[in-house]
Amino acid sequence: MNLKSRLILMVVLLFNATLFAQDSYQLSGTVTDEANVPIPGVNVVILNTTRGTATDFDGLYQIEVSNGETLQFSYLGYVTQTIDVSGQKQINVALKEDAAQLEEVVVVGYGARRKSDVTGSVSSVKSDELTAFPVLEAEQALQGRAAGVVVQSNNGGEPGAPISISVRGNTSINANSDPLIVVDGFIGANMPQAGDIASLQVLKDASATAIYGSRGSNGVIMVTTKKGKSGKLNIELNTTYSIQSTSNKLDLLNASDFANYQNQIRANQGNTNTYTQGAYDTDWQDLIYRTGSTQNHQVSFSGGSEKINVYASGTYFNQDGVLINSGYERLSFLSNIDAQISDKLKLGLNLTGSTSKKNGVATQSDGSASVGGDDVVSLAMRFAPDKGIYNEDGTFATNDQIGDQVDNPWAVATQKDDDTTIDLFRANVYADYEIIEGLTFKTTFGLSTKNEFRGTYTPRTLTLTSGGVDGRAIMSEDKSKSVLSENYLTYNKELGKGNLTLLAGYSYQKTTNEGFYSEGTGTIDDSFSYYGLYTATSLINGSSGDVYFNETEIQSQFGRANFDYDDRFLLTATVRRDGASNFAKNEKYAIFPSGALGWKVSNENFLKDSKSISNLKLRASYGVTGNPSIGAYESLAVLRSLYASSNGETVTAVTPYQNANPDLKWESSYQTNFGLDLGLFNSAVSLSLDYYDIDTKDVLMFDNSIPWSFGLLNDEIITNVGEINNKGFEISLNTRNISNESFSWTTDVVFSRNKNTVETLINGADFFGSGAPSYFSVDNNYILREGEEVGLFYGLDYAGVYQGGAVPAGTAALTGAVAGDPLFADLDDSGDITTADREIIGNPNPDFTWGITNTFRYKDLDLNIFFQGSQGGDIFNMTNVQLYNGDANTTYENYNNAWTSTNTDTNVPRVGNNSNREISSRFVEDGSYIRLKNIAIGYNLPSDVLEPIGISKMRLSVSAQNLLTITNYSGLDPEVNYYGASGNNNTSSNTVRGFDFGNYPTVKSVSFSLNVTF
Amino acid sequence: MIKTKYILLLIMGLSIMGCSDLEEDPIALLSPEGYFKSTADIQAAVDGSLTHAINEEIWGRKLSIALLLRSDMVDLQSDETRRVEMNTHTISGDNEMVYDPWTRIYLGISAANTAIAGADDVVEEDSVKNPVTAQAYFARAFYYFHLVRLFGDVPYFDAPVIDAEAAKSVSNTPEAEVYEKIIADLQFAKTWLPETVASRSIPSKAAASSYLALVYLTMAGNDSGSEYFQMAFNEAKEVINNAGTYNLALDNDFQTLFNAEKIDASLEPIFALDYNNVEAEDNAYDQTAPMTGIRGDDDDQGWSVAVPAMAVYDSFDADDYRRRVSFQTEATIGGVTVDYTEFDISGHEFAANRPYIAKYTRFPGPYAKSNKRATSHNYSMIRYAEVLLIAAEAAVEIGDNASALTYINMVRERARRGGESTNGGYVEEAIPASAVPADLSGTVTVDDVLEERRVELAFEGKRWYDIKRRQLGEEVFGASGYEGAKPDWNSAVDYDTPIPDEELNRMPNVVN
Repeated sequence: MNLKSRLILMVVLLFNATLFAQDSYQLSGTVTDEANVPIPGVNVVILNTTRGTATDFDGLYQIEVSNGETLQFSYLGYVTQTIDVSGQKQINVALKEDAAQLEEVVVVGYGARRKSDVTGSVSSVKSDELTAFPVLEAEQALQGRAAGVVVQSNNGGEPGAPISISVRGNTSINANSDPLIVVDGFIGANMPQAGDIASLQVLKDASATAIYGSRGSNGVIMVTTKKGKSGKLNIELNTTYSIQSTSNKLDLLNASDFANYQNQIRANQGNTNTYTQGAYDTDWQDLIYRTGSTQNHQVSFSGGSEKINVYASGTYFNQDGVLINSGYERLSFLSNIDAQISDKLKLGLNLTGSTSKKNGVATQSDGSASVGGDDVVSLAMRFAPDKGIYNEDGTFATNDQIGDQVDNPWAVATQKDDDTTIDLFRANVYADYEIIEGLTFKTTFGLSTKNEFRGTYTPRTLTLTSGGVDGRAIMSEDKSKSVLSENYLTYNKELGKGNLTLLAGYSYQKTTNEGFYSEGTGTIDDSFSYYGLYTATSLINGSSGDVYFNETEIQSQFGRANFDYDDRFLLTATVRRDGASNFAKNEKYAIFPSGALGWKVSNENFLKDSKSISNLKLRASYGVTGNPSIGAYESLAVLRSLYASSNGETVTAVTPYQNANPDLKWESSYQTNFGLDLGLFNSAVSLSLDYYDIDTKDVLMFDNSIPWSFGLLNDEIITNVGEINNKGFEISLNTRNISNESFSWTTDVVFSRNKNTVETLINGADFFGSGAPSYFSVDNNYILREGEEVGLFYGLDYAGVYQGGAVPAGTAALTGAVAGDPLFADLDDSGDITTADREIIGNPNPDFTWGITNTFRYKDLDLNIFFQGSQGGDIFNMTNVQLYNGDANTTYENYNNAWTSTNTDTNVPRVGNNSNREISSRFVEDGSYIRLKNIAIGYNLPSDVLEPIGISKMRLSVSAQNLLTITNYSGLDPEVNYYGASGNNNTSSNTVRGFDFGNYPTVKSVSFSLNVTF
Repeated sequence: MIKTKYILLLIMGLSIMGCSDLEEDPIALLSPEGYFKSTADIQAAVDGSLTHAINEEIWGRKLSIALLLRSDMVDLQSDETRRVEMNTHTISGDNEMVYDPWTRIYLGISAANTAIAGADDVVEEDSVKNPVTAQAYFARAFYYFHLVRLFGDVPYFDAPVIDAEAAKSVSNTPEAEVYEKIIADLQFAKTWLPETVASRSIPSKAAASSYLALVYLTMAGNDSGSEYFQMAFNEAKEVINNAGTYNLALDNDFQTLFNAEKIDASLEPIFALDYNNVEAEDNAYDQTAPMTGIRGDDDDQGWSVAVPAMAVYDSFDADDYRRRVSFQTEATIGGVTVDYTEFDISGHEFAANRPYIAKYTRFPGPYAKSNKRATSHNYSMIRYAEVLLIAAEAAVEIGDNASALTYINMVRERARRGGESTNGGYVEEAIPASAVPADLSGTVTVDDVLEERRVELAFEGKRWYDIKRRQLGEEVFGASGYEGAKPDWNSAVDYDTPIPDEELNRMPNVVN
C-alpha cells in the first residue's frame, strides 16, 4: 500500500457515519471558473447542516441532498454562490472571480474581519508572495511586500542569520523593536515555514495593535497557517534547488603592490624597517568564498471529512553557504487538526516542531576577540596577500609584520567549529463553544519551547587564537518556554441597520528562560572538538549573563467593540490592561485604549452608482500601545559576583552592579493614523494611503547620566527617559493593467517613508555609541541628539588633503601633519583638531523604501519581476576605515589615488598618514540602491497532460535573486547591518544603523523549483 | 451529560489563568539588601574591591602602561592615538587610558564603600569585624591615592551612591582634603589590620604603614621645609624597625621579584595584587607582559608597544645586575637568535632595535591566554626596597644623612649580589656577585635617591609619580631627557590628568 492510499484510508477511518434524511438523493455536478476551467477543492456545503464535500481535480462533486436544502459553493478568491435544491440531479456552477478581493478576510487580534470592514491600518501579504522565491525564514519574504515594513537580515546572506523586522520606523531606542508575532493565536510564536502560511497580516496602527496592549507598539504580525479542507486528500510537493555566489568582491592589492604599499607607508612614517615581500600571492577573498547551494523540500497533506480537517507538512531545508564551512540544515513539521465536535463546539490542535543545525563561521566581529582572531570576512580583506595559507613548517601562516597579529582567514574559517542547534516545539489547543446564538467562548492553551545548544571549538592549530592555550572549547545551552492561556467571549448582534460585535477576554502568559555556559582551555586533543571540554585543564567561569534563570509573567484583560452601521459607518474601540512582572514595583499595570472610525464613502448614495469609483473608504484611528522589552529583574538593585583569588584560592567576591529603579515601566506609543482605501474601475486599480504620527514616551534608554564615579558595574541601567516621534506615509497600489483569458499583467507597488525625531533625551544630553569593532578604540561614532533622527553618524568633517604651507581657512590638521595628511573642518577655530570638531556627518535612515512587483501571465506561463529599493540612507564604511589605515591590505582605489608629491591633485590622503582609524565624513557614503530582488518565470503544465498520470497540478519555475543591484556604494553591498562593538543584541539594533564591517556577504542566487499537487 | 462536559471545559480554561501577584523572585541574582550578615560577606566585598585593581583597565594594562609611557623611561612603538597622547603629554579627556582607569578605580572604591557600609549590618564585636573591614579602608585609600595623584581634585565618596540624582550636586573634593581622608583610612587600617598575613596580596598593618609613608612623602612634594618629610621618615622607619615583626626583608635575588613562580615566597613585597592565570570575565586579567614584549619572537610573542628609549638602557651601569633583570637584550625570532640590534628581522613595522622591558615577560608563570596574557604574576604595589628608599629620601630632607646612607646602601648592596637570571634572552644563567653598584658615601642628595628609585623601581609604575611629586618635568622632558625633547610638555597643565569629558558632562559641578 503506498503512502497516498494509506492516508486516504486514515481519512476514511476518521469519517463519522452520517445519517441522511430518507428522501435524500445523490446530486452531482462540476464547478468551473468563468473560462470554464474546472476548479478543484471548491467547498460544497449544505447550509445549516454539517454536511459538505469538495470538488476533485476535475471540478466534480457528489453530495447527498434533499429537496428544499440550499447548496453553497465557496472558494478563496471567488464569489460564493448559493443554489436551492429542488429536484435537480445535476448542478453545474461557474464561479465568478472576486475581482475586488474586498471580501478578503483579515485576521485581527482575537478574531477576523472582512477587509472592507477594517478600520485600522493592515497590510496583507499573500501566500504566493511568501513563496515566490526560496527563503529560509518567512520574514525574508516580507521585504518590499508590505508598506511600512522594513526587513533586514542581521548578517547578510549567512545561512540561519536572524532576520529583523521593523514596522513604521523605530519606536524605541534601547528596547527591542521587533514586532509581535502571533501565529494561530499564539502570542510570541516563532514564524512558521513560508510554505505553511495561509495568510499573513501586518497590523500597523494603534487601533489594530492596541488589543495586544503593552506588546503592540512595534506592530503585530498575524500569521495563519494552512488548514485542511473537507473533501479529497491533497498531497502537495514543493522542491527547490538554488545555486548561490557572493554578489561582490573588493579590489585589493596583490602581493607585490602590497609590499610596495607597506614600504611607502614606512617611508612616509620615517620608519626604516623595510617590509620584505613574502613568497606568495594569495587572493584571500577567493579562498574563503565558494559556490553555495540551497535545497528546500516540502511535502504537505491536506484533507478531511465533513467534521475533521487535517493539514500536515514536513519541510527539509539545507544550505551550504557561500563562505566555506558555513551551512544550515533544518527539518520542520506542522500539523493543524480542526474538529467540529457538535453544532456548537469546535476543537482544534496546532502542533509544530523543528530542529535545525547551523555551522557557523565567524563574521561581523565585535572586536572582542581582537588578539589573534577576527571575523573571516574582514580578515580576508585585511590579511597580507604575500602570505600563503601555510608556513613552510606546515603551520598556518599568521599576520606578523603589520597591524595586530591575526590568524589567516582560511585557517579561521576551516579550523574553528561553531555549531548551533535549535529545537523548537509549539502546541496549541483551542475550544470554540457557542453558548447561545451570537455568543461564543473561545479558550486556547498553548506551550512553546525552544532549546538552543551552541558548541564552539578553537583548535590549537590556530596558533594565535588558541595556540597559547592548547584549544578552547565552549558549550552553552539556552532554554526558554512559554505557557499561554487565553479565554474570551465574542458576542455578535444585529441592531436594525447596525451590527455590533463585542469581545472580552483574559490572558495569562508565563515565560521562563534559563541557560548555562561552560568554557575551558587546554583540551586533550583537537579531534574531540568542543566535546573535549571535559578534558580541559583550565575552566573559565561564565558570566551571570551566560548562566541564568529568569521568569516573567504577564496577565491581561482586554475588550473590543465593533459597531457597523448600514455598511457605511464603522466604529472600533479596544482596550487592554496589562500587568507584567518584569516592571518595577510601582508600575506593574497599565491600560492601553484605542479607537477608530471608518466611513465607506462609496456606499453613500452619491457614489453608489459610480462607474469609476468602486470603493472608497476613509479611516482614522488613535490609540496607545506599549513596548515591554525589559528583561526580568532589570528594576532591582543587584550585587554581582566577580572571579577573584586570594593566596592561591578562588574566593567569593562581590561588587555593586546596579541600583534599583522602582519606577521602570513600559514605553508608551501614542499613534494617530489616517487612511484611505480607493478602488477604481471595478477595482482594476486599488490604492491604500496611510499617514501616521507616533509619539513614543517613556522611551527605554540606557541611562547615560549616571557618573562612572558612582562605581556601578552596570553604569547604564535602562530607564524611561526619552521621547521620540515617527511620522510616515505609506502607499500600497495594486493594478490589473491587462486581464483577459490568455494574458494578464498586474502591478503591485509599495512605498514607505518614515521620519523619526529624537524629542527628548536624558538632561537633553547627546547620547553616543560606537558602531565599530572594539579594537578600533572608537568611542563615539554615532549620536542621538534632540531634534535629530536616531543613530546619526558622528565624527570629523573631512576637508581634503593638506598640501603643505598654510592650512586653508576653517580647516586644521592633526598633530604633526605634513603635506599629504588629511584636513578636517576646524569647527571651534582652535587651530587644532580636537573632540570639539566632531559633528554629525551622516544619516543612515533612508528617505523612503519601496518595492514594485510586476506579474505577467500568458496562458500557462507566468513571469514575476520584483524590484526593491531604498533611497537616501547613508552608510559608514568601517571596512574602508580598516583598509585605509595602513596596517592591513588596501584597495586599489586608495593605493592608486593616494596623495604623493607627484600626485597632489587628489582627495585621498597619503598612505601612512597621521590619522589613525579615522572616523570622518571621508568614509560616509550614499547607501541608496535599487535591486532586482527576484525575477521568476514559471510554467504550469496543462491539465490534459497531467490528468493521465494522476497529477492535478504541476508547476516548474526558474528564478534569480539579487541578480542586479544599482548603487553608488563602494563596499560589498548596500544592505549593511554591522551591529558594532556591543555585539548582536536587540538593544543596539535601533541605534547602530548603517555601519558596514565584516558581515556575511549578500548572495546572488538562481533557483529551480518544482511544485506538484496530487 | 454532554453539556456538563463543556461547562467543565470552560471552567478548566478559566482556572488555568489563575491570578499572579507579578512579584519577581530572582533566583540567581544577589540583592544588596540583607546581603551582609557575617564577616565573610564583608570579606567578599573587600575581595571584590581589590579584584578591580587586577583588571585590564587598571594594573592589567591601561593604568600601568599609561604610567610607563608618561614617564621618561618608556617610549612608544605604536600609533594608537590614546597611547600617543600618553607618550607626548597631549592627553585629552576622551582618552580610553584616562576614562578606563577612572571608571575601574571608582568601581573598586564603590565595592570598598559597600563593604564598609555593609559592616554596619554585621552584628559582631569590633575586634572581630574591624580587622576585616580595615581591608576595605585600605583598599579605598589605595584607590584614592592613585586618583589624587593622577587627577588632583576628584569627587570623593565615602558611602555607596544610591541616588542617581546625586550626579547633579556632586562636586570635586580638593586634593588636600582627599589626602586627609586617605590618611584617615590608612590609619584606621593600620590600627586594625594584622601584622602578618597569609599572602602579601591581603592588606596588612605593614602595607597600611608603608603606604602612609609614601602618602606623606608625596604630600611633602618638592617643598624641603615640609613637615611631611619627618612624618614620612617616621612612618617608613617604623616599618623598617618592625621588619622582623612584619616578616619583611629585601630578597636576596633581585630577579625573584620578577619571577611569578618565586615571588609569593619572597619577604620583600609588602602589598601585591593577586593575579591568577584565569581568563576572567570583563578583561579581569593581566596584559602587561605582551604590552612590553618583543613582537614576533618565538617565546609566545609580545605586542611591542612600550619599549624604553636606548638612552634608558645606556643609563644603567652595565655591571649592575638590575640592568640584566630589567632588560631583554636577546631573542629568537623565526628560529634565529639575535641581539637587540636585529630585533627588526621580524619585519614588524613597530619592531624596535632596542632592549625591551624584561621584568614582566621573562618569568610570567602560568598564563591563560596567548602572548602571555592572564599571567599569575602577583605584581608588587609596594615592596620593602621602596620603603627603604622612602626613608632615605625623607632622611635627606630632614638632614639625617647617616640614615639616608644606611637605607640607600641596603638597596644597592642587594643589587650587587647577583642571582639566577638569564643571558638577557631565554637562556638561564647564574650571575655572580658584582662590585656594582658600589655603596654611596659622603652626602646623599635627593637626586641620588630619585636616581636609585629610577633604577631600582624601573618600569614598575613609580617613575611618573616621582616626576610629578618632585616636579621634574622641565628637566626630564627637555632635550637632555632620555627620550629627547618632548615639545608638547607643559608644566602648567600636564602634571594633572584631565577628568574624563563624559564625567564632566554628567556632573555639572565637577570641573577640571
